[in-house]
Amino acid sequence: MSLVSDTEVLEDASASAPPRQISVAQLVWWALILFLCLTPFVLVIAISFGQKIEGAAWEWAFTFANYERVFVGANWPEQFTVLYLQRLYYSLFYAVIAAVLAILTAFPFTYLMTRLSRRAQSIWLVFILSSLSLSEVFIVMGWDVLLSNRSGLPMVLKETGVTDWLKAVGWFDTLREWGLANPRNVKFKTSVFATVLTMAYLVWPYAVILLYPPLSRLDRSMVEAAQTMGAGPWTVMRTVVLPTMRLPLLGATLLLFVFLLGVYVAVTVFAEPAKQTMAVSVYEAIRGNTLNAPFGAAQAVVLLITASIFLAMGQWLSKRTAA
Amino acid sequence: MPGLRLAGIAKSFGSVHAVEATNLDFAEGELTALLGPSGCGKTTLLRMIAGLEAPTRGAILLGEADITAQPAHERKFGMVFQNFALFPHLSVRENVVYSLMISGIAKSDAMATGARLLDLVQLKGFDDRRIGELSGGQRQRVAIARALAQEPEVFLLDEPMSALDAKLREDMQVELRMLQQRLGITTVVVTHDQREAMTMADRIVVMSQGKVEQVGSPQQIYHQPENAFVADFIGRANFFDGVAEAAGVRIGSVLLDAAAGAGFRPGTPVSLACRPEVACLIDCTSPGTSLPAKVTFVRDVGPARDIHLETEIGRIIVEYARGETDQPFAVGQETTVTLPASGLHVFPRAERAAA
Repeated sequence: MSLVSDTEVLEDASASAPPRQISVAQLVWWALILFLCLTPFVLVIAISFGQKIEGAAWEWAFTFANYERVFVGANWPEQFTVLYLQRLYYSLFYAVIAAVLAILTAFPFTYLMTRLSRRAQSIWLVFILSSLSLSEVFIVMGWDVLLSNRSGLPMVLKETGVTDWLKAVGWFDTLREWGLANPRNVKFKTSVFATVLTMAYLVWPYAVILLYPPLSRLDRSMVEAAQTMGAGPWTVMRTVVLPTMRLPLLGATLLLFVFLLGVYVAVTVFAEPAKQTMAVSVYEAIRGNTLNAPFGAAQAVVLLITASIFLAMGQWLSKRTAA
Repeated sequence: MPGLRLAGIAKSFGSVHAVEATNLDFAEGELTALLGPSGCGKTTLLRMIAGLEAPTRGAILLGEADITAQPAHERKFGMVFQNFALFPHLSVRENVVYSLMISGIAKSDAMATGARLLDLVQLKGFDDRRIGELSGGQRQRVAIARALAQEPEVFLLDEPMSALDAKLREDMQVELRMLQQRLGITTVVVTHDQREAMTMADRIVVMSQGKVEQVGSPQQIYHQPENAFVADFIGRANFFDGVAEAAGVRIGSVLLDAAAGAGFRPGTPVSLACRPEVACLIDCTSPGTSLPAKVTFVRDVGPARDIHLETEIGRIIVEYARGETDQPFAVGQETTVTLPASGLHVFPRAERAAA
């Protein structure tokens, strides 16, 4: 069909039914959007059913072997291993703790921020927004230096005598039990503590930005009403502010949690080798020495489904809370 | 319940003086209205009484006790906010018993008090409703019941009727006043509506630009305004600018017989106010000054008629209530208006606030 005839067809269509032309344009637009959004997902899902060719790349296929390997191990039924489920567990474990930690610390900060003058609030917001421009790699590098055993905080603790004091009072042994000390000094690398701390730091500005709008809209007269009825600051927080903010808090935690499921750099730097996450495992399968894209894709799909389940649960919970 | 006393209380926000040094006594069991235009400092004064705003100077005394430094949660004065500030996450009953629950009172006792208060504000059976399911009037009743639950020594209301429609507002004014009289609780109401203040208050404090202009009963405030601002803000008045003389007040070539003008030194520039219902067109018995006048407009609003007149000293509005006279007045009609000497209020000439 020539260009001229295409135009004619379109003109004819517009003359007989003008709304139809709009819907065609809309259809094309939506198709484009869906194509751009869904193609990567569809590809990943399709690849997850492919199979690895030993000594080479992979080929298209339709096998559940990759999913089987994720849930029960490659040698099932002879041998049952939970290595990749364990990695999924650590993905969830780090993400939950870091999201909750970020929200717990960002909430009081944001609450106090909304009580400042408009000018002070603007300055804080600009500062926090600008911190978002720092990449994960840059932030992790900073924390890597700060927590490194030779030149970071452990060195400072040793040089200032805090390590000796911890040994003297017996708290050093407790730190060792928690994996936060070696026989000589306090150590943060590698540890769950450092991993979670860095992850919480990564999303902390997002937490503030997510909590700022609902907190700044909080009706101050409700707080004052509670005060005139005998509620001190903690009672006001417990009985008025937190219950009023429960939906934004739930939403913000969930969003940070899903975001944190995919954190890669912080985990590779700070987590112990045995406590790596599924995001790291996905990368290793696709770009690492195993070069097993189908298996990496299967893990990515499992991670995606896990995130979807949590989002659905959050949606259900927020509806129930709102009701 | 002890009375409340403000001794030289003042509040500044930076260089802005929201409330200038104010001395006020709120007698036990009395309802006082803080009345004034927007930005006159009445809400700031109320917030200082509640403990929500710290005074820059002065002291707040409850009986003999100085409570100036006491925070709001220790004063526990019941307060109804302009937007009612009800807690949307709690039911009606939970809102009402909030103060009792956080004070650790037994739940059964709190619930009994809640039921009694909801009965008092005529909301029996609304216990489990959500706040979002209530009308404006019902919300106000919940806010009142909630503020009364802790049996406060002082009851504060910040523009409590402003969120209600006109009809409901009038009903609630009467209802609230009756409730306050029944409970005998010291009450302070902030309002910019003079009708609301006149309906509810034992005493009115008229404020303007952070200062108290006059304190008195509604009748005193209306019939004996102490300055031009009060005469202008409360009710309506015909205003004229003149000069005091030994025999009265001169406006142009007319010398008005004004008893209140005697207190001024001759030659002093003065403002003269006359209520529309005091000026007289027919059967005038009170001594005063009569002026030839021409009817320029007649406004009949049902319960009253306003007759607009053009006179030698300027425009005058005369108000006749329905039934006072049946005499018709037509535009263009020539007549005589009498301004009774006892009904003319004379003040030093000053700026008048727009009411």
